[in-house]
Amino acid sequence: MQLLNNAKQKMFLGNGNDAAAQAILDIKFDGEGYYPITPSSEVGEIVSKAVADGKSDISFVVGTSELAAIGICTGMALAGGRVVDVTSAQGLLLKAEEMPSISGLGLPMVLNLSTREVNAPLNIKNGHSDLAAALGWGWLIFMAPNVQSVYDMNIIAIKVAEAVGLPAIVAYDGFHTSHANRRIEIFENAADVAAFVGDKPARQNILDLEHPTTFGPYMNDDLINTKVLLERKMAKAYEIIPQIFAAYAELTGRQYDFVEVYGDANAESGMLALNSAAEAAKTVVDELQEEDKGVKLITPYVLRPFPAKAMVEAVGGLKRLVVAERVSQYGAANYMENEVGAALQKAGNSTTELISRVYGIGGLNFRPDEDARPMFELAMNWPNVDDSHKTLEGRYWGAWPGDANYHPPATLKRMTTEETTWNAGRDKIDLKELSNMPSRFEKHSACPGCGIFTNLNQFMRGIDGNVVFLFNTGCGMVVTTGFPQTTFKVSYVHNLFHNASSTATGIVEMYHRFRAKGEIPDEEITFICVSGDGGDDIGMDQLIGSALRNDPIIFLEYDNKGYMNTGGQLCYTGILGQRNSNAPIGKVVAGKQTQHKDIVEILRGTNAPYLFTGAESNPRDLIMKARKAQATVRNGGFAFGKLFSPCPLNWGSDPAMGNEIIDRLVKSCVHPLYEIENGVTTLNYNPEKVNAKIPVTEALKVMGSAFAHLANEKYAKEAEEIQREVDTRWERLKARAENPVL
Amino acid sequence: MSTYQLPYQDRRGFTNCLLSAIGGDGANMAAKLLFKIAAEELNLDGAYDAKYGSEKKGTPTDVSLRLCNFGTPVRESGPTNRPHILCVFRENLIRTLGLNRGLQEHATVIVNTCKSPEEIRDALHLHSGTVHVLDAGKIALETHSRLNMPMMAMLAHVLGFPEAAVIKKITETWPRAVEPNVAAYKAAVDQSVSKSFAADGKYQLAEPAEVRSAIGYDNMLDGGAVDTLTQSTVGRNNAYARSNPAPAFNREACIDCAKCMTVCADPGAIVWENGKMVGIDLAYCKACLRCVAVCPETKKGKALTDPAKEGVVTCSF
Repeated sequence: MQLLNNAKQKMFLGNGNDAAAQAILDIKFDGEGYYPITPSSEVGEIVSKAVADGKSDISFVVGTSELAAIGICTGMALAGGRVVDVTSAQGLLLKAEEMPSISGLGLPMVLNLSTREVNAPLNIKNGHSDLAAALGWGWLIFMAPNVQSVYDMNIIAIKVAEAVGLPAIVAYDGFHTSHANRRIEIFENAADVAAFVGDKPARQNILDLEHPTTFGPYMNDDLINTKVLLERKMAKAYEIIPQIFAAYAELTGRQYDFVEVYGDANAESGMLALNSAAEAAKTVVDELQEEDKGVKLITPYVLRPFPAKAMVEAVGGLKRLVVAERVSQYGAANYMENEVGAALQKAGNSTTELISRVYGIGGLNFRPDEDARPMFELAMNWPNVDDSHKTLEGRYWGAWPGDANYHPPATLKRMTTEETTWNAGRDKIDLKELSNMPSRFEKHSACPGCGIFTNLNQFMRGIDGNVVFLFNTGCGMVVTTGFPQTTFKVSYVHNLFHNASSTATGIVEMYHRFRAKGEIPDEEITFICVSGDGGDDIGMDQLIGSALRNDPIIFLEYDNKGYMNTGGQLCYTGILGQRNSNAPIGKVVAGKQTQHKDIVEILRGTNAPYLFTGAESNPRDLIMKARKAQATVRNGGFAFGKLFSPCPLNWGSDPAMGNEIIDRLVKSCVHPLYEIENGVTTLNYNPEKVNAKIPVTEALKVMGSAFAHLANEKYAKEAEEIQREVDTRWERLKARAENPVL
Repeated sequence: MSTYQLPYQDRRGFTNCLLSAIGGDGANMAAKLLFKIAAEELNLDGAYDAKYGSEKKGTPTDVSLRLCNFGTPVRESGPTNRPHILCVFRENLIRTLGLNRGLQEHATVIVNTCKSPEEIRDALHLHSGTVHVLDAGKIALETHSRLNMPMMAMLAHVLGFPEAAVIKKITETWPRAVEPNVAAYKAAVDQSVSKSFAADGKYQLAEPAEVRSAIGYDNMLDGGAVDTLTQSTVGRNNAYARSNPAPAFNREACIDCAKCMTVCADPGAIVWENGKMVGIDLAYCKACLRCVAVCPETKKGKALTDPAKEGVVTCSF
């Protein structure tokens, strides 16, 4: 190893995600597979900006899901690439099947994990349940308790990963670190980073034509031997990590160890915590020391390989150790509690009592005065503490029982079939009459001018009777059901990013079963799934599955051309050249690089009985389609509708202009109004026939800063390509409308 | 550079600022810029942390900026819950969020409002300190800047940041909009009205807000489910989400075409009775003005209009 002493450092202001992105750019990876998820999305956005501006040549590929993103990384690594990815929470779990595969294949790479809670109900804030799930996947795991170490650990991780042939996770706390802006130091010259990381070590790869190799054979009894390989690699990592830490310290002055011990080495009481909480607790360690109450704080920088020896030494002569974890193994001892306990037992330490606490879950902070100090006091005073600390509930730091006297009065009455039936027996759509129909939802917290509820409001006026809503994760879900309140006046379920259609299948199966058996009242219920266009990227397979099974549900997609709930990232529905937070307009790359996905035409191949597009600018048409969709499910069939939905926030469009924008999208045939009934296509509105057709740029120019540039001369080439694609699809659609067999 | 002194220091050496705004106000950008000035121009250290949920335009958000001298360990994460300086971008957030909670004694408060410092003190229940009021919306409008610029300017001013350092950063950050932003900065400092209030016992200090709601593990429905009939948003008031006035309605000009009803982004805001449009429910309306855009011109004019266009000033709706 070539050692560079004292590589020059410079000041850097940024948050944990900025630091991860800066490290990625400094390391000069070959590739990044990417899919956005809060709170790690920013990392990919920053990298994509560098690519768009020609400042990085990394192959940056946005997948249709987290599983796709990590699959892309696997491919890049199999080809010999130096690869990186970022994720959080459910994103990591969706990658789960690929994770042990990557370590099993011996592919080095770095995965930045901005930790986040995984649970239902959904929570986007911090927790280590994603990290805990990864403990046994054969990945190296480095911990980054603050913004500085996010940068440092990325550089260290790739070096260790390539040295041993294992992938590595760098875990930093979502929000507490990912969104914490700090003043840190980074290498002034990226060349010093490259020199430290070194050249990629030669390894078997699929592009080596001289050595044709089969990767990932089917393996049976021999598999046990691969486990030995994994174990050996971890053992090797355990050997070399201290050397690499030392080399890094020599270069930067920033020293890391397997385990950091902070405070009084001879203390009797201590706390073990991971990442940002340990940082916050240090202040309290100092303050307690000043009060002559010496305590010890233990925090590991490496979880895999688990540094058992260092951990035992760190615990030393402690009598009581609070093991504080941002995760729980319900019904069992907790993760770190188990690992530390086992290490102590093996080392013959039977005197340190471990006190398990579960803390800082979801949005809860870990503050020095309110949390760290009382936790140290718990360790100091144990077992002479209030009995409430010794209960099952007492283990859950900051949990509360609620107010036993809280019995809020009903503010709504159950909606009846009678009051919600305004379409049966009517041919015409009378908007004035339909204004009497009660809404199935109440106040929401969407942005002013958001198109989601305009669409839903119109559509629901064509649906009679009882309704159950199923929402995919997205804006529509987040702005309606912030606990403990709900916007919905009827029953509703959210089951993650892409699962609404499959969940609806399960529910509707049971509904028909129980209704037929007389186990539930003989009342009609219409099941309506609502998803953003992003939900139909990640959930495209499940949506197609529902359509292929012809499940009697209505599935609505509000298409706002991006992952708007996570900050305006690219969706496959996006327009060519559209500005997204991860497809910016740069000096060398301008926005999204592919044409917009056509979900209705994708679904045409399922031969589902009713597929349609709808637009708020044509309310009677949309309400009529709602009636048809309900008629379809009454006949036992599947109905799907795509509704174009303005997003003033991420489009940068005028909130008041929503209806005008949609009207122009219809008239420019970017969003033609049509329906497919049992394979037969009908155009519901043909702008050519009423002399209303406009060029796509006439729509794009009023759609806000995400699109408006496409109407400028500078992007004439992109506009022309969009126009050509829209024209081709329009001509094809007209041909289909003219010929029922097409 | 070495002469700069932090206006407050808690026992850990920090001046704590809390910016309270709604999504889209640019509070984040303001804090980011101030942090840059602090670190790059004044060699300070510190932290800026946003609450950051699912950031929707019009939903309350807060940003915390904590400053310390370089060398002071910066370890705690998350927003401050004990601000010395409170900067309120929307006056109505004071009551909605109970912004006096956690506010320290001898605090500095900056509020975008048309009200007087005395009125703001009473609205906030301020124990003691100095209140600076300014009509930041009007300043932004007049200087062709954005709301966050006068607010950031006042915050920089009360932090005692040298004007040259602030203008230098504004110039670096928005090279093409230096003039309006500098004008907004100067107007804010010039036009703000300030008054100090002693700890006269009129209002007590309030402890930081607790997250605990009335529902906990003993009375929560299984799986965190929500009882629709008792926990509806029906009683909520979304008025705080308006960043401009709600549409004005003139029944005389209305032909009950229902276009407004079909485009409304906050269904329920357009109130209909017996097939007739009767007005706007302000508890729903976020003033996106979609309805104004589609409302047809009749002989008696438009039934729905944007009052801001009739010359209503920014902070008095």
